[in-house]
Amino acid sequence: MDEITLLRRLREDRNPTDESVTRGRAALFNKINEVAPKERVTTARRRFTLAGLGAAGAFAIVGVLVATNVLGFGGWRGGADAAAAAILERAAIAAFTFDDVPLAAGQYLHVSSQTVHVTDGQEQNGPVIAFRIKESSELYVPEDRADDWVWVRDPISVIDVLSPGGEDMVERSFPSSEQARDPELLRAPFGAFYGNTAESQWGDFASMPRDPYRLLNHIYLTTIGAGSSPDGEALVVIADTLRQGTAPADLRAALLRAAAMIPGVTITDDQATLDGQTGTAIGRVESENGLRQEIIIDPTSGRLIGEREVAVVAIPESSIAAGDVWRWSSVHTSIVDAAPAGGTPNGASDLAGCVPGERTGEMYCPPGGKK
Amino acid sequence: MSEDSDIIRRSGATPAAFAELYDRYARAVFRYAAGRVGNGYADDIMSETFLVAFERRESFDITIGDARPWLFGIATTLMRKHSRVEAKAWQGLVADGAAAVPDDAIEAIGSRIDAEVAVKAIAAALRKMPTRDRDALLLYAWADLDYEGVAQALRIPVGTVRSRLNRARRTLRAASHRGSTPDQEVEHGRNNVAAETA
Repeated sequence: MDEITLLRRLREDRNPTDESVTRGRAALFNKINEVAPKERVTTARRRFTLAGLGAAGAFAIVGVLVATNVLGFGGWRGGADAAAAAILERAAIAAFTFDDVPLAAGQYLHVSSQTVHVTDGQEQNGPVIAFRIKESSELYVPEDRADDWVWVRDPISVIDVLSPGGEDMVERSFPSSEQARDPELLRAPFGAFYGNTAESQWGDFASMPRDPYRLLNHIYLTTIGAGSSPDGEALVVIADTLRQGTAPADLRAALLRAAAMIPGVTITDDQATLDGQTGTAIGRVESENGLRQEIIIDPTSGRLIGEREVAVVAIPESSIAAGDVWRWSSVHTSIVDAAPAGGTPNGASDLAGCVPGERTGEMYCPPGGKK
Repeated sequence: MSEDSDIIRRSGATPAAFAELYDRYARAVFRYAAGRVGNGYADDIMSETFLVAFERRESFDITIGDARPWLFGIATTLMRKHSRVEAKAWQGLVADGAAAVPDDAIEAIGSRIDAEVAVKAIAAALRKMPTRDRDALLLYAWADLDYEGVAQALRIPVGTVRSRLNRARRTLRAASHRGSTPDQEVEHGRNNVAAETA
């Protein structure tokens, strides 16, 4: 037996434990999930974008915005129509009175949210397969936000496959076994999960003006060049921030009033059903991508039910027809006396043995932690 | 079965597709790493290799169908941080001696004592071998890459792989032929390296 053969034989019988393989796979999925939703949404939105805002255009608008910030760019080009503005104003008032009962010490604001949206995938030479996935989570925000927040995130699940014959591809992308795993349990002071700061995770609420005009200008400035159009992106940011459920009442009210200043915002559906609740949809059609971004509000209480995006034209390469809901999110907030025990700042990364505060997979932070 | 490069390309639009690569090669990466840094660290190397690979998937050359050289190259780089652990693993192999050799292989070598001597010699030779030669040798022997694959993994020309492997083999052979005094043999091997590279 020569040396190489003997050397080869020495490596035999070395196999990872099933547990170790599963842990490694979970760490990989954790990494994948960090980028996946963002990329998918970008892809979906970009596909239907005819032309983005060019760099020159962006710079020009920055100039105008800087010049007009003090005067108020928001509202300058008109705003929501009167009916939509009235509903938004009612919701803004409700933000103070309805949702924001002060928490007692030891209590938590419980934000239960779920999002269902269309995404797509494609294998080599294969057709584009559209399917719907659901992301849901339960967030527990402590009375003192410097205390531990707890976040229970369910694995992404596939709701249905929209393109005929696409089931196998979807199963390869989102194996049933991954969908069936336990929720990820996170716990961190200030809600600073995954090594993020509280601001980068949830938004820098302190820096956001409470005056609606200034707030809208702030949003235009911070989103410059992003999204399909400045007005569309501003409404997306407002909807995203409201959906989180973590913004303080005065900011939520300002966001709703800012939405009323975005040109093109109207009541788009006065009988919008979302996750079993009916409300008034207020939104704006984004001509660049053929989607209508909406915030849905309970017209009697003014309470936010959720948000959705609706296709206003049929989407090519998918079974999405005009009027179909492309994405919806519902959010429900309540006050609870306890949060689930356990959890770590990096959730699945920590289960893989990572050092708290650092992200699994980065060179300086192997899943097993620093040795 | 789709080629690895298809999976990686697909993972651009559908990141979850990358998990298929893990299912294909995680165990192979583990086996390669376990030989070098022991089972405990091999768990980490296995996992970390795919995390790094996922982050850098855009850098993968999709004209190459087989992702193994790329993955083993990443694993090799990651293990360089663990050179002290690796040195200990070779010591461990010395301590294990014949216990590290499968029974049928012991038979082929001759006797348990012969196997003991051969393993200790190999371990000592590996421990003292220049890193670049050891990387090439172990990618070839433990990662089952061919010369072309080793070249891709280490990003060096195939000719260089050939000369490194020849040198490493000669070192191993010399060590095992004088297995009772492995350290002296390795010195001999080093002299050979100097002579070759001159």
